[in-house]
Amino acid sequence: MSDEPRGASSDPEADPTHPEAYVLNMGPQHPSMHGVLRLKLHMIGEEIVVAEPVIGYAHRAHEKMAENRNYLMFLPNSSRIDYLSGMIYNIGYCQAVEKLLEIEVPERAQYIRVIACELNRIASHLLWIGTYVLDIGGVTPFLYCWDDREQILDLLDAITGSRLTYSYGRFGGVTMDVDDAFLTGTRTFLERMKSRLPEYDTLVRKNVIFIERSRGVGIMDRQTCRAYGVTGPCLRAAGVAYDVRKSEPYGIYDRFDFAVPTESAGDCLARYDVRIREIEESLKIVTQAVRDLPAGPIMPDKPKKKFKPAEGASYFAVEAARGAFGMYLVSDGSEVPFKLKLRTPSFSNLSSMPKVLAGTMVADTIAIVGSLDIVLPEIDR
Amino acid sequence: MSTPPLTSTDAAPAAPVDLADLTPLAASSTTTDPKRTGFHHHHVALAPSLPELARVFTSAGYFLEMLTCEDRRLITPALPKMRLVQTWNRFDGPADRHLVTCELDPGQVAPSITAVAPAADWYEREVFDMYGVRFAGHPDLRRILLPDDSDFHALLKDFGQMDRGSEEGT
Repeated sequence: MSDEPRGASSDPEADPTHPEAYVLNMGPQHPSMHGVLRLKLHMIGEEIVVAEPVIGYAHRAHEKMAENRNYLMFLPNSSRIDYLSGMIYNIGYCQAVEKLLEIEVPERAQYIRVIACELNRIASHLLWIGTYVLDIGGVTPFLYCWDDREQILDLLDAITGSRLTYSYGRFGGVTMDVDDAFLTGTRTFLERMKSRLPEYDTLVRKNVIFIERSRGVGIMDRQTCRAYGVTGPCLRAAGVAYDVRKSEPYGIYDRFDFAVPTESAGDCLARYDVRIREIEESLKIVTQAVRDLPAGPIMPDKPKKKFKPAEGASYFAVEAARGAFGMYLVSDGSEVPFKLKLRTPSFSNLSSMPKVLAGTMVADTIAIVGSLDIVLPEIDR
Repeated sequence: MSTPPLTSTDAAPAAPVDLADLTPLAASSTTTDPKRTGFHHHHVALAPSLPELARVFTSAGYFLEMLTCEDRRLITPALPKMRLVQTWNRFDGPADRHLVTCELDPGQVAPSITAVAPAADWYEREVFDMYGVRFAGHPDLRRILLPDDSDFHALLKDFGQMDRGSEEGT
């Protein structure tokens, strides 16, 4: 690999050929690099001149695997792309294939999917809040977030048998029905979580150190987001109310009353605020879904045994916890996908980092990169 | 890394891209049923017009959602082609997804659209990494996911058919 830095800042002071320029390596073994991200920081003093993310350490060739196994066999892969919101990816993949094959999903399964996905989104945001605040120096909130997240993992474990890599969806429905214990547990969790949010407000949002470290730091404006294809909470923190659940509703999301929270500052603090409010919105969706859950089957009466979509290309997008997750699926008419491109949100979100990090201080690097909520296995696929 | 100036003001909500701006640049443009395919429009483009197409989309307030490639050499062995695939979409209003496809001869170099859409930087590197397609004008075309010293392009159809018992390349 060439050690020549990429690009150059317009600031003449920030010249990578400056006699005092040096390279600081951060990661892949770094406790705050969330998995295996490496940042090559070309610096002068404490200022970053050029930041170069180096990725690929967790590449598992999911797209290659997809081309070598039939549609059903890819199901376990789907929740391993982003293991923190695996349910959304798993259900999203099922929905993409259902759309290709025009499989009808029973009502009850549709509601169960929404409940499971939104609980997963809350769990993912909770993990981010905990680890992000931990990254920038606050240990205590992590324990609270972990405690709350554990309630969700127990609930999902009860219906899927897994804590993270769910593989809960099937083409046409879900594998297991929810029982009264799950619904009661979910209602208990909803009540608990509502009372916890004010506690987070006191514990995190009113903490002066947290505010100082995140306000005005790592600003990503609308233009930057659009140039790099940034989606999800990072985009909404820049004031853009883009959410796949609203812009092209999938499943039964058009039946629920929920808002798309936005902030305008585009800094790390705004990204925190957006995620907290998204937890509230997800709680609203789960409340409605549990209330309206109809009785009935969770799989079609006569599930298909062979999955052979007609020849052609299709695109299906869902709103994952980190942004728009898209699947570009090409069928050649056989039982094996000809091509499956996984458009993962963290990949695009992270690709904006060279622009955002240029000119910032190294002390803010963790605060900025952490605020994106990247999941490296999802970037590397 | 400098960002090229975007011609539209980002504050104004985006109107759908004007199809009249796109059709002269595409060999063919069709409207497709998004309920069935997920795409609202499909444009078949020739390689030299890709940067100009990208410029029309970014000027209209669209963002590059995805850029990838398909190895179609074995589908039509008499006319082997690599297919570049882009999708463009917008943030405001209902989704309006434009699929842009571009057939390349094996070994043909495509023009980079990184100068117009910075999001293409990593996507083009990934296409180079996985398919070996090169992009002229890319600021730093090198591998992104596979090790730098790899001697293969992993998503080519003749590389490593993992579950089909091929001896080579597995």
